[in-house]
Amino acid sequence: MRLLLVEDEHDIQAFLRHSLVEAGYQVDVAANGKAAEQLALEAAYDILVVDLGLPDQDGISLLLRLRQIGVNAPVLILSARRSTDDRVRGLEQGGDDYLTKPFAMAELLARLRNLLKRNAPAGSEATRLRVLDLELDLLRREATRSGQILQLTPQEFVLLEYLCRNAGRVVTRSMILDKVWGMRIQPDTNVVDVHIYRLRGKVDGKGQQPLIRTLRGVGYVLKDR
Amino acid sequence: MSSRTAKPAMHSAAWRISLWATLAFACGTMLVFVFLHRFVAQDIQRRSDAWLAGEVEVLGDVAERTPKNALYDRVVGEVAELAGKEVPNRLLSQNSSNDSVFFLQTGADGSLSLWVGVGNGTQYLQAIQKTKILPDSPTDVHVDGYRVPFRVASTRIDDGSLIYLGLSERDELRVLRSLRLRFIVLWLVLVLLGFAIVFYTARRMLSHVREITEAASRIGHSELSARVPTTARNDEVGHLAHTLNHMLDRIESSMHQLHTITDTLAHDLRSPLTAIRGKLEASLSATPHGEQADPIVSAIEELDRLTEFLNTSLDVAEGKADALRLSRSQIDLDELLRVMIDLYEPSMSEKGLRIALRSSGSLKINADAALIHRMVANLFDNQIKHLPASCSVTLQLQAQQDSALLVLEDDGPGFSPEVSPHLFEWRVKGPESTGHGLGLAFVDAVVRAHGGTVSASNRPSGGARIVLTLPLSSSSNSKDAPEIGTARTRPGGV
Repeated sequence: MRLLLVEDEHDIQAFLRHSLVEAGYQVDVAANGKAAEQLALEAAYDILVVDLGLPDQDGISLLLRLRQIGVNAPVLILSARRSTDDRVRGLEQGGDDYLTKPFAMAELLARLRNLLKRNAPAGSEATRLRVLDLELDLLRREATRSGQILQLTPQEFVLLEYLCRNAGRVVTRSMILDKVWGMRIQPDTNVVDVHIYRLRGKVDGKGQQPLIRTLRGVGYVLKDR
Repeated sequence: MSSRTAKPAMHSAAWRISLWATLAFACGTMLVFVFLHRFVAQDIQRRSDAWLAGEVEVLGDVAERTPKNALYDRVVGEVAELAGKEVPNRLLSQNSSNDSVFFLQTGADGSLSLWVGVGNGTQYLQAIQKTKILPDSPTDVHVDGYRVPFRVASTRIDDGSLIYLGLSERDELRVLRSLRLRFIVLWLVLVLLGFAIVFYTARRMLSHVREITEAASRIGHSELSARVPTTARNDEVGHLAHTLNHMLDRIESSMHQLHTITDTLAHDLRSPLTAIRGKLEASLSATPHGEQADPIVSAIEELDRLTEFLNTSLDVAEGKADALRLSRSQIDLDELLRVMIDLYEPSMSEKGLRIALRSSGSLKINADAALIHRMVANLFDNQIKHLPASCSVTLQLQAQQDSALLVLEDDGPGFSPEVSPHLFEWRVKGPESTGHGLGLAFVDAVVRAHGGTVSASNRPSGGARIVLTLPLSSSSNSKDAPEIGTARTRPGGV
């Protein structure tokens, strides 16, 4: 996967490049709008990460320019601006997703994966998810572990489904809040942890291999091997 | 706002102004007409009296000079008949007989001696005898069988007989009636036309004022870049619009400055925070286990808390200046609360707290979903942090007039007396509080930005009570408002 990163802050550029390369992307970096345009003309990128605050031009106008010269790849906007107006404007003017700084790397990677998946030809939607001996029937909203039915509330099922779809990958608390509860909040208390704790109590029974792992300081991951 | 503009025209100021103006105009013209009518009536009366006096004198003269022979009746009769044809204001009646004039002569004994007119004249004589008629001053006489009185003049001739000449007032009254009729029709047309003109002008004038009011209130609610409509005319309304726009210019520029400051501050703080967080994550992934990870993990957590504090304090700062930017969409407060309670209930019950919602059902508000989410999260976080175990929290949601009323009550220790008067101020917190002290200030900022109110008090039976109101969205309002973003109150698909 070829990725163009447009970011002027040197420190951020450095760690993003490092983490993206580690995640398996082939990364080119542009520090300003002009360089980004040049690179986009020379090579075909699968995905772009664009910071809105560029030294030579507004990120939004770069987006419009890129779309004009025929760049169709999905664009993830990074921004240190806070107002929701900017978010809406960014998404209206050709951005495909938007992430506010500072962010967790896991969330950036998850969003990139989503954008690439969205662009890939749509396969038939799976009706069953399987992770090791955990199996989810998405139509009957039923989860089983080693053939045993798990007694989950509808909300717990949605949470487990989200973890299964991202099996093997880290999901952060704010990603869970966003995708499972549909809200962008930063609770001051451990609300997500308690839900995960309850879910773990039902999924990881005694004597079974624990599937839901906590990555301290990062989030959670559902083990897939 | 739209409910105010939709009211019927009859409740508008333009209606009242035109009603009063028209009433004054109608009364004035009516008064003028009454005087005019009286003048015309008197003038006609005077003319016909003059004619009667002249004619009766001539007839008296003729009667005196004509010898009292067989021809007397014929001569006097013909003269009288001729006189009858010169009647002023006369309208030729349908039948040939002239019933608007009569001539009557009585003998010295009062009996009828000569009669020229319709019929045999006895009823006229009776009527005349009933009425006192002074010579030389014409008098009204009511004759049986006639609705309209006769104006009768009399003169006495030397042989002692009396001569009466009567003229029906029919023609005179007809002239006056037609004058009145024409006036009434013209008057009505004028009054209605005047009303229409005044109403139209006043409405146009006031519609400018209404447009200004509507625009101003819209500006107050949403965007400051809009201006109230101005007119080219240099009148009071134009001045009002210009003054308002000048004021808005100043407000917008200071608002813009505030936004620039908060945005720059946010940007300048966030970029280094992003870099620090990235580096921390990178070093955490290098040492995922063991003792070294602990400080990194807590540093990341502190950093996230700092970021949230930064966001919240900037929001509170903007909220205090009534400059909080909203992306409104239609959200169901009842559903939103249920989802949030679903999210928070496990944490609360883990702390031994109970939470219950009493709601009268779906309540739609036009609000910034993200801010409302954060506000409710803030309230719930506060409860978890401050309430001792085994307390219960009750939420009541109901519609009250045009607002959604949300009452949050608990049976905990309540607000301590030293912070109670300053609950919604910046960085006020109780002595044992571990939070950053922005909680209720943020709630206040969000509620105010949405045009609602918030108050906090201690319940008489113990415990805290926070009362919020948020304006309900009417269907018409939600169409006008810019729809930005989508409400996401339902647990999303994954």
